[in-house]
Amino acid sequence: MHTGHYISGAGHVVLIGWMIFGDVFAAEPLPIEAVPVSVISSADYAALTAGDRTPQSATEIAQPATPEVAAPPEIMEREDAVSDPTPPAPAAAPSADDAPDVSQIAPLPRADVSDAAPVLPEPPADVAVLVPEIAERPVPEAAERVAPEPVAQPDPDAAPDPIEQEAVAPDAEGEQTQEPAEATAPEAAATEIVTEAEEPSAAPQTSPRPPARRPEAPVQTAQPAPTEDAPVEQPPAEEPPVEEAPSETVEDVPSDTDDAVAAALAEALGEAPASAGAPDAPQGPPLTAGERDALRVAVQACWNVGSLSTDALGTTVVVSVAMSQDGKPLTSSIRMTSSSGGSEQAAQQAFEAARRAIIRCGARGFDLPVEKYDQWQDIEMTFNPERMRIR
Amino acid sequence: MRVLAMLCACVTALVLGAGQVVAQGSGPLRIEITEGVIEPLPFALPVFEAETGDAGSLAAQLSQVVAADLTGTGLFRQIQPDAFISTVASFAAPVQFADWKAINAQALITGAVAVQGTQVSVKFRLYDVFSGAELGSGLQFTGTTEGWRRMAHKVADAVYSRITGEGGYFDSRVVYVSETGGKDARQKRLAIMDYDGANVQYLTDSSAIVLAPRFSPGGERVLYTSYETGFPQIYVLDVGSVQRRALDAQEGTMSFAPRFAPDGQTIVFSLSQGGNTDLWSTTINGGAAQRLTSAPSIETAPSFSPDGRQIVFESDRSGSQQLYIMPAGGGEAQRISFGPGRYGTPVWSPRGDLIAFTKQNAGRFHIGVMRTDGAEERLLTASFLDEGPTWAPNGRVIMFTRETQGEGGRASLYSVDISGRNLRPVRTPEGGSDPSWSPLLD
Repeated sequence: MHTGHYISGAGHVVLIGWMIFGDVFAAEPLPIEAVPVSVISSADYAALTAGDRTPQSATEIAQPATPEVAAPPEIMEREDAVSDPTPPAPAAAPSADDAPDVSQIAPLPRADVSDAAPVLPEPPADVAVLVPEIAERPVPEAAERVAPEPVAQPDPDAAPDPIEQEAVAPDAEGEQTQEPAEATAPEAAATEIVTEAEEPSAAPQTSPRPPARRPEAPVQTAQPAPTEDAPVEQPPAEEPPVEEAPSETVEDVPSDTDDAVAAALAEALGEAPASAGAPDAPQGPPLTAGERDALRVAVQACWNVGSLSTDALGTTVVVSVAMSQDGKPLTSSIRMTSSSGGSEQAAQQAFEAARRAIIRCGARGFDLPVEKYDQWQDIEMTFNPERMRIR
Repeated sequence: MRVLAMLCACVTALVLGAGQVVAQGSGPLRIEITEGVIEPLPFALPVFEAETGDAGSLAAQLSQVVAADLTGTGLFRQIQPDAFISTVASFAAPVQFADWKAINAQALITGAVAVQGTQVSVKFRLYDVFSGAELGSGLQFTGTTEGWRRMAHKVADAVYSRITGEGGYFDSRVVYVSETGGKDARQKRLAIMDYDGANVQYLTDSSAIVLAPRFSPGGERVLYTSYETGFPQIYVLDVGSVQRRALDAQEGTMSFAPRFAPDGQTIVFSLSQGGNTDLWSTTINGGAAQRLTSAPSIETAPSFSPDGRQIVFESDRSGSQQLYIMPAGGGEAQRISFGPGRYGTPVWSPRGDLIAFTKQNAGRFHIGVMRTDGAEERLLTASFLDEGPTWAPNGRVIMFTRETQGEGGRASLYSVDISGRNLRPVRTPEGGSDPSWSPLLD
């Protein structure tokens, strides 16, 4: 009678134990581990999308003529700012008083005309004369090649060997393997290329690598492209979303990620040439340490401080110079940008020594890589005579 | 989703990175030059143009003196006329800078000389060849034919000043003791000459031993010590008239080592009385002498600072001969020399930044310079006997006495740049010692 109860009790105990120590507890942690991954990705994604959107809003605000709404207060402030500088206008009159100083300096150099510098064409004249003289000399060829010894005649016995060779029969199998079934390969490659080019997000149309020259062309092509497509009509169409603030722009990103990627790439490609096109921004790889050292050594070889005064030897001058593409300094561009450590007269002496150094050693052109001209078209040299002082 | 987000992040990072690179590389290429060369600056000086018929020889001589002045500094090197590609046909003709660049002439000096009777006019221009411009404006000097050397010195001074930035010193004179005879029978007399040894004139005869002449700040008087009476006594000599008179001296004393104060009226000197030597001051007009030091040691060789507020002198109060500085009116002295050996004959630079001195150490004599606080001591020469430095008016060159060893040893004058370079003898017709450099002449 009780046997049934025992079997039933044992069965329940096993069932309850299996429920407690079985897979019921092990299955729960799995979804918890996945949670932090989703949290991290969302935070980064939100930050990234926020960073991407801010320049968009800036560009969008700049394009439309928004002053219709918020113009009045801004205009009022600007008018005040403009009204202030108007009184200084009479200050322009006293600046004209400086002219007499210049005119006083002008009469000091007497009579002499010392502008005969352009006698430079002489060197090329010498080259032009010398070249033909050198070119005529290599003309004589002559070089007698008559063999001094008569060539031994072939022996009459050395007649062609009459040995007969068996004719090679064409191999039928080899001809069969040359069947042109390979023409299909290039067709498949061609299709793949076409499909990649169709995707605008690839963006290899303009390489981010700096070109050898100034990026004037990329800047111009990038800017007119959007203006030509929808120059005036688009701004008013975009006005409503601008009024609704950045909340929508943030929400749009997760909704359509493809557009977000395309927008980010477009910005990347659009901003790169824009920033590179800033005035005086050098292009191309920078000069190597060796190239900079070569320039420094070349200049210091002509920097003669032996005739400088002790005051000038204590003066550091910074000299700017513009270079031509052949590595020669433009003499008229050499000027002192700053000086330190000495009187004005000492600075002038130090500058003249520096200028002589640049002109002398640059007369034949410094050894600078032409492909990096944008990097060295403007050079600023600091002449520090600290180590050259009298000790 | 995550892949796209990471792609956006990569693109953004690339854009920002590119921007930073551009920002770092923006602006001109900057390099720093810290090592140069020290070599004489090459200059070309074609013979000055003779604007009048009889000025040819004078123009040639004058050109030579200008060139000698500049090359004598050690800072310039003359390019020989044989190397000239073109000539300067006329003082008013334009300069062919390319021709002078080709021979590496960094400075070009052109000039013209005109003679009318006993009057000479000299004009010159200085060009920076590689800049293709004139350095300063042209100048013209007029004078007599007898003073043509001074005009040459003035031209050289102008060129020197414009290129180096230092004041000139060529148009100056030196008074010194001319010496003849052997060491055991040496005769001495005062002489005055141009800085380069030309135009020597004697101011005294050799009947009495004379020592240590010193120019007045204006160059019109000379103080010196003479043994005319058997004892050393100080005299004042007017250079123009060669008239002299003895300063008042106390009986039984010996006065020597006089030197003018910058005001030209006060004189400071050493007075030996009862075996003790101290510094005193008086006026050139014979005012009462004032004691400046009162120590049992020997104080001598005083020299004023350019502002007249301090005096540097030598003293053995510490047991060895060292240099000290005290207020011009006397007072506590501060020692400034601490190196090995003995220091003497200090002379304050006209620029006020350095003190030149004689140093004896390890059996050799040196001429050296140091800062007024004794720092940065620098020995410029070394020989058997170097002593008695005197400063050029621009404070860049020192002249001193060098005597050779042995019975036939001869004293002569030398000059050296304060850098220690360009040590060279000053040619005098006889031996010379105790030089004193005048200020720049008017």
